[in-house]
Amino acid sequence: MNEVKIPKWTIKFLRFICPDNLIEEIEGDLFERFNKDLKHFGLSKARQRFVWNSIRYLRPGILFRNKLSLDLNQFFMIANYFKVAYRVMFRNKAFSSINILGLAVGMTGALLLFIWIHAEFSYETFHTDKTRIYKIWNRSTENGQINCWDVTPRILARTLSDEFSSVENSVSFANWGSKQLFTVNNTKLLRTTGAYTDSEFLNVFSFPLLKGDVNSSLTEPTSIVLTESFAKQLFGDKEPFGETLSLGESGYNFEFKVTGILKDLPSNTDFKFDYLIPFKFLESLGENDTNWDNNSVSTYVKIKEGTVIDAFNNLVKDIKKKHSHNAQQSEVFLYPLTKMRLYSRFENGVVAGGRIEIIRMLTILGVCLVLIACINFINLSTARSQRRAKEVGVRKVIGAYRSSIILQFLCESVIITLGAGLIALIITYFTLPLFNMLIQQQLTLNIESLKFWLLIIGLIIIVALLAGSYPALYLSSFRPARILKGQVLISASRNFLRNTLVVLQFGFSIMLIVSAIVIYKQISFVQNREVGYDKYNLIYQPLTGDLEKNYLSYKNDLIQNNLALSITKTSTPITERWSSTTEIQWNGKKPEDKFNFERIYIDEHFSSTASLSIIKGRDMNLSKFPSDSTSVLLNESAVKAMNFDDPIGEVIIDNGTEWHVIGVVKDFILTSPYQEVEPLLLMGSKAKWALQYAHIKLNPENSNKATISKLSDLWLKYNPSFPFEYYFVDIEYQRKFANLEKTLTITTIFTSIAIFIACLGLLGLSTYMIEARLKEIGIRKIFGGTVVNITKLLGISSLKPILFGILIFSPLSWLAMNWWLQSFTYRTELSISIFIIAAVSLLAIALITVSIQTIGAANANPIKSLRNE
Amino acid sequence: MAKEYLGEFEELVLTMVAVLQEDAYGAMISEEIETRQEREVNLSAVHVTLYRLEDKGLIKSTFGGATNERGGRRKRIYTVTNAGFAMLRTMKESRVELWKLIPQLKISGV
Repeated sequence: MNEVKIPKWTIKFLRFICPDNLIEEIEGDLFERFNKDLKHFGLSKARQRFVWNSIRYLRPGILFRNKLSLDLNQFFMIANYFKVAYRVMFRNKAFSSINILGLAVGMTGALLLFIWIHAEFSYETFHTDKTRIYKIWNRSTENGQINCWDVTPRILARTLSDEFSSVENSVSFANWGSKQLFTVNNTKLLRTTGAYTDSEFLNVFSFPLLKGDVNSSLTEPTSIVLTESFAKQLFGDKEPFGETLSLGESGYNFEFKVTGILKDLPSNTDFKFDYLIPFKFLESLGENDTNWDNNSVSTYVKIKEGTVIDAFNNLVKDIKKKHSHNAQQSEVFLYPLTKMRLYSRFENGVVAGGRIEIIRMLTILGVCLVLIACINFINLSTARSQRRAKEVGVRKVIGAYRSSIILQFLCESVIITLGAGLIALIITYFTLPLFNMLIQQQLTLNIESLKFWLLIIGLIIIVALLAGSYPALYLSSFRPARILKGQVLISASRNFLRNTLVVLQFGFSIMLIVSAIVIYKQISFVQNREVGYDKYNLIYQPLTGDLEKNYLSYKNDLIQNNLALSITKTSTPITERWSSTTEIQWNGKKPEDKFNFERIYIDEHFSSTASLSIIKGRDMNLSKFPSDSTSVLLNESAVKAMNFDDPIGEVIIDNGTEWHVIGVVKDFILTSPYQEVEPLLLMGSKAKWALQYAHIKLNPENSNKATISKLSDLWLKYNPSFPFEYYFVDIEYQRKFANLEKTLTITTIFTSIAIFIACLGLLGLSTYMIEARLKEIGIRKIFGGTVVNITKLLGISSLKPILFGILIFSPLSWLAMNWWLQSFTYRTELSISIFIIAAVSLLAIALITVSIQTIGAANANPIKSLRNE
Repeated sequence: MAKEYLGEFEELVLTMVAVLQEDAYGAMISEEIETRQEREVNLSAVHVTLYRLEDKGLIKSTFGGATNERGGRRKRIYTVTNAGFAMLRTMKESRVELWKLIPQLKISGV
């Protein structure tokens, strides 16, 4: 025995790395070799060889032998699971298609929502220095309330750069929407989509330039930067870079040189412009705006790296107080650019939310859709567990662990979810353009991005686990002895769980139906709200180009040709707010009064053109009363705000000018039809420069089409250099509802999806229930049960959980919709009829779904179901 | 079913198991390879190959006797299964087939 001559640690080492069942043989062979070596080479060499040979066992074939062989086994079983899953799926085509279709529709809905949410979160994230870019906001205290808004004086940007060393760049940005006429050779385009900004704009934001220099493209006063597609519209196929173009605005014309071509702006930015003009241009015309009280532009700063933002905010906040006596209540603060999209609603000086609230709702909606689809899967799999019970029993008898049966059923749910996911992806691909149209977004499937696929795979895994884990746990818990003896496995708790899940599904559906109905009611309620003027046959036109000069002849032609009943000049369209002020002075104004007054400048006969009713005093009439150019008409809310008993003859002061009140008009909706009417001042024509629009009451005797074509002829006569423009007030007014209508569309889509999935599940469950009770139905019929009786019996048991769902979730939806309606001053009331309509329609849909199966079953010949026994 | 292939060393070990019959155990196989083929082999390589062949079902093993030389440890004797013999045969036949295809005229023309 030579074991003593061998280093002990090698034995220990061998025993550590080698599997137990092999160690005896390996040691034996090594000893045999050692003894041979001992004879040939002597002890030291033999020992050396022994150690070396032992160490050579440190190889994967030995180390991983146990583990690997087990994994291999598992792998073979998984292949078997997939095979069985595939066979089961094809054996029950109806159930598999219900499962897959339900999951696919639910996942499509969720996918569309998640793509949308992802796009919302990506806003402004493409700027290289996005974490260092901030927008300047104001914070001011009025009537004890802290207000926040983001329009700042033009002078602010320059001052920030001059006074603070931590500011790397600081730029003003403004798109005022003024109409500018571009002329390049014979191409004429009228655009309102330009912006004024500073030369460092392209240093701060990462909008890539295709041509031109980031640092110098906006330094010359008459330089202009165009986006690629706008340049193409102007210049066609000609190279635009370095060319000159002529830009006209309110009678003036300037030559600009194209010094940069921007790549078209991405869809995930809130900056919208077709061209950039430097502020220097305005300044070269002498419009150097250094007024600290004129908030007219947005200001963005890029701070230097390493600046602590809180400390910097503290330094900056009093900058307005320092420079302006009127702004003692005002502070400024920096707000991150990347938060502007989703978190820009402030309440009393604190961030209260913003678009993120919508995003949260969408997330909940998406999750609920997935849940509803998963519930279908869970319900159908557990309902049909009896069919798989024998299989589970046999597998267990042969020696399957519970874990391997769980794995088997998870594999099945993975296969089904994978199929559903693929279908969902295809449906999403084809419905995305339609969805984009409905929600007015430009969402894209980023098929080439890894993140997108991770999202899809993540979604599939989550759904597979969510849907598959309960059935897997349940099916794997079967006791083989009981199953194989043929005991029936119907447990009340299982039915209870199934019914609870159905309650949830339909509860969620009822909430969606109720919200769709309430939104619809709110829209139609507000649409029926009295506007306060006659919006039909009323159009407005901008007084562009020569039209202002030729206004009187234009007016005469319109009236004499019987095209229009009346025509008036105003500063703004009647559907929009462009000017407002809190600085109006009047007799008896209290110092704490800080009402915001809307302003519209008009020349005369505005109330007759728009059919406003004058309830006190008279309309403006310049030919009779020339002094009416400094007169003002108040609306009822303005009278209330100023607390006048008799407003006629009162004088109000706006920015140093006196205006005398000559009349009161009935409140009409200027801004939001959902809110109270704001105080409004209709001011006389003293501010001639402001009158840029003509409102024309068309003669209702003519057809609108004929009138418009005649108007276009007149336009050509009086204003040939500008494109013909007109807007119908009733159509423009309708735009105020666009947002809510969008919400209604989205809600309706997802309500339909949710109900569709829930009904699919119901169809599956009722099919299963009838299958299970086929014999019972046969026996009932033999004993004289009528078709009506049996249909009722089957129908009631499937409709009961739905009824519960409606009863439990109706109060919840009442609370939710009540909360939603609180955001409107002018709102419809929640009535019990809404809930009755919702409940009845949901029950009707469910009933139709169930009866497809039940009536067939009740009508079937009992011989068919009973002859086999 | 996909056809299985053997590596060169696997084939060598399998052939040795067939040759050595009752003496086919790890130490003996490696020694025989060393003496007959005159090539260095490590015991661990032989063992791993034996286990792999066993996994593939080409050989099977039983415990044999223990000797004093082995420190009282039993031998594991390997025998070639029918599948193993079939594999050896097909491998040999395919070699022969290929041999026949080599043009041989030049060799005799010296």
